[in-house]
This record gives sequence, structure tokens and C-alpha cells, in this order.
Amino acid sequence: MRSIVLISAAALLVGTALPLAAAESAITVSDPYVRLLPPGATTSAAYLLMKNSGAADRKLVKADSPVAQSIEVHEHRTDNGVMKMREVGSILIKAHAQTELKPGGYHLMLIGVKRPLAEGDSVAITLTFDDGSKQPIAALVRKVQTDMPAGMVMDHGAMKH
Amino acid sequence: MQRKELWIAMALALAGALFWLAFFWEPAETGVGARAPILAQAPTAPAGGDFVLRSPSGPLSLSGYRGKVVLIYFGYTYCPDVCPTSLASIAQALSALTAAELAQVGGLFISLDPERDTMEALHAYAPFFHPAIIGMTGSPEQIAQVARQYGVRYMKRNSGGGAPYTIDHSTSIYVVARDGKLAAILPGDSTPQSLVGTLRELLAGAG
Repeated sequence: MRSIVLISAAALLVGTALPLAAAESAITVSDPYVRLLPPGATTSAAYLLMKNSGAADRKLVKADSPVAQSIEVHEHRTDNGVMKMREVGSILIKAHAQTELKPGGYHLMLIGVKRPLAEGDSVAITLTFDDGSKQPIAALVRKVQTDMPAGMVMDHGAMKH
Repeated sequence: MQRKELWIAMALALAGALFWLAFFWEPAETGVGARAPILAQAPTAPAGGDFVLRSPSGPLSLSGYRGKVVLIYFGYTYCPDVCPTSLASIAQALSALTAAELAQVGGLFISLDPERDTMEALHAYAPFFHPAIIGMTGSPEQIAQVARQYGVRYMKRNSGGGAPYTIDHSTSIYVVARDGKLAAILPGDSTPQSLVGTLRELLAGAG
């Protein structure tokens, strides 16, 4: 009897806690950035990492920014050596998992960038998810570099001397 | 008696199977055969070779780089992700070279979008990544010819909704040796280290 009461209590607790958790966004966005492109370029890309701490799958369905005429959610796929960039309806962030938007993969394509973006500028972007929730983020404009261990190339050169 | 019925049943089943094979079975080879023309076009090693295109400082030929190792990338300036990623990698590789090495290396960014990429835009775009990278363009026919030489495939794609068109394209990095011959085709997502490795290998070769 006691165990039944305990289970009911636990169920009640979980039942009331869940809607509370859902009210707060389960999606945490980290390291958002916009690729620095040459002056005059009117398209760029934004990248970020989305973590879903919630129990439900979530989808990023839309992004907007005052600096771009529009933002499209894109993916890349390689078809027989040809890189194809396509608009996707949404990007899935599975429950208790994360999805990364990064160079060569998923990215937000900024179309019709209205003003020159300089390194260090902050770009306001609003993300919209499939549950209707919105999340404003500030993405820093930065020069995107491939990670290169500092010592490696130098060592390689040194060997030749 | 029972055995006889069994035989009849087996014979019927066999006949049915043969009937199905004869009239309904479409062997998979038919499908492959239908695709054969496409397979026949599969790129063998592209020839590469010389070309002349426009650069910000006038007509520029690949043969003008004879004696140097040249990295060539085909792309377009409206490309938001893949082209800048490869160009940044090329730029980092060039930056990692010694001044003496860099003097023997060139970089070319050839536009696959001659309609939209003005010389001015290319001149702002390519050297932004590294001053040794030169933007080049030409007539659509000239671009198509150079693309054919190097086995580059590209196709304009309208994204609809008033958004500017994008271009699906081969993303390889083409490496031309000192003698002007196409020496290597590297993946577009090559790391700067691997590019430096290829460059040094070719620089060490006969020149």
C-alpha cells in the first residue's frame, strides 16, 4: 500500500514538474558566430551549437536577423564529388542530445546582408523552434579558420633545414 | 499415393517458378545497363592544362606560373559556406609556408558564376583570404572550357522564394606542379597541414 502511494506521489511530482520544465526552453545555444567575409559580400553563414536538455525532440524551424533580408536553414550533402547546398525545413535536436551547425554541414545562410560586417561585430539572430518558442542570440562575427596545431607545420619546416 | 501427390505439387511449384522467371523476373542487369551511359562518362583523370582567363591585372595564363606550384579552387563569391571554408584552409597553408616557399607558390580562385561575380567582387574576395590568391573569371564558355579540362562539374540552382541562386559544384582543390601539369586533386575539406605537405612535396621535386 505504501509503495502505491509513493509511486502515485512520484508520478504526480513528475507530472507537475514536466510542464514547468517545458515552459523554460530546453535548448541551450552556445558559441554562435557569423563567418567574416570580404567587404561587399552579401551572403554569409552563421554557426552554433544547440543542446537539448529536455525529454522531447526539438526542431529549429526558422531564423531571422535584422542584418539580413532573410535567413535560410541549410545543409550540405556531397553527391559524387559535387557539393550541394539545400534548404532544409528544420534541423532536429534530439532529446538529451546536441546538434552542431558548422562549416561544411548545417548552417544558417544569411542572404542579402544589409551592412558590412566587421570582425567582432555582434549579429542579433532570433531562432524559432517547432514548439513556437523563440530564442534571441548574439553571434559574433569572426574569421573562420581550420584548426591547425601551431607546432606541426613549423616542425615540418624545421626538419628540412 | 502420398508420394505421388508430393511429386505433383513439387512439379507444379517448379513450373510456377519457371513461369514467373520467364515472364516477370527483371534481372538487375537491366537497371545497370540503363545507367551505362552515365557510368561511361564517369570522370577518369582530368587532363588539366593551360588556360587564359581575366584577372584584376588583365589576362592571366596558368603557363605564366611555370616553375611555381599552383593551387586552384573553383567556386563563387555568393557561396556562404563551402568556398570560404576551402579558401580559408588554402590561405592557412600559404601562411604556414616560409617566404622562400611562398615565392614559388600561387593560388587561383576561378569563378563558376561569371554572370554575378564581377572582377571587382573577385578582387575583393580572393585576396581577402590570402594576398597570393588571385580571383579569375571569363566568359561562360571560357569557364566551361576550363572546368571541363579539370573535371569540375557545376550547375546553377534556383532556390526560389526570391533568394539568389546557388551553384552546386565540385569542391576539389587542384594542385598544378612546376611543369604546369595537374599533379593532384585534393578534397575541398583538406586540412592546411595536408595542403602544406603536398605543396612541400611538389616544391622539393624537379623544378
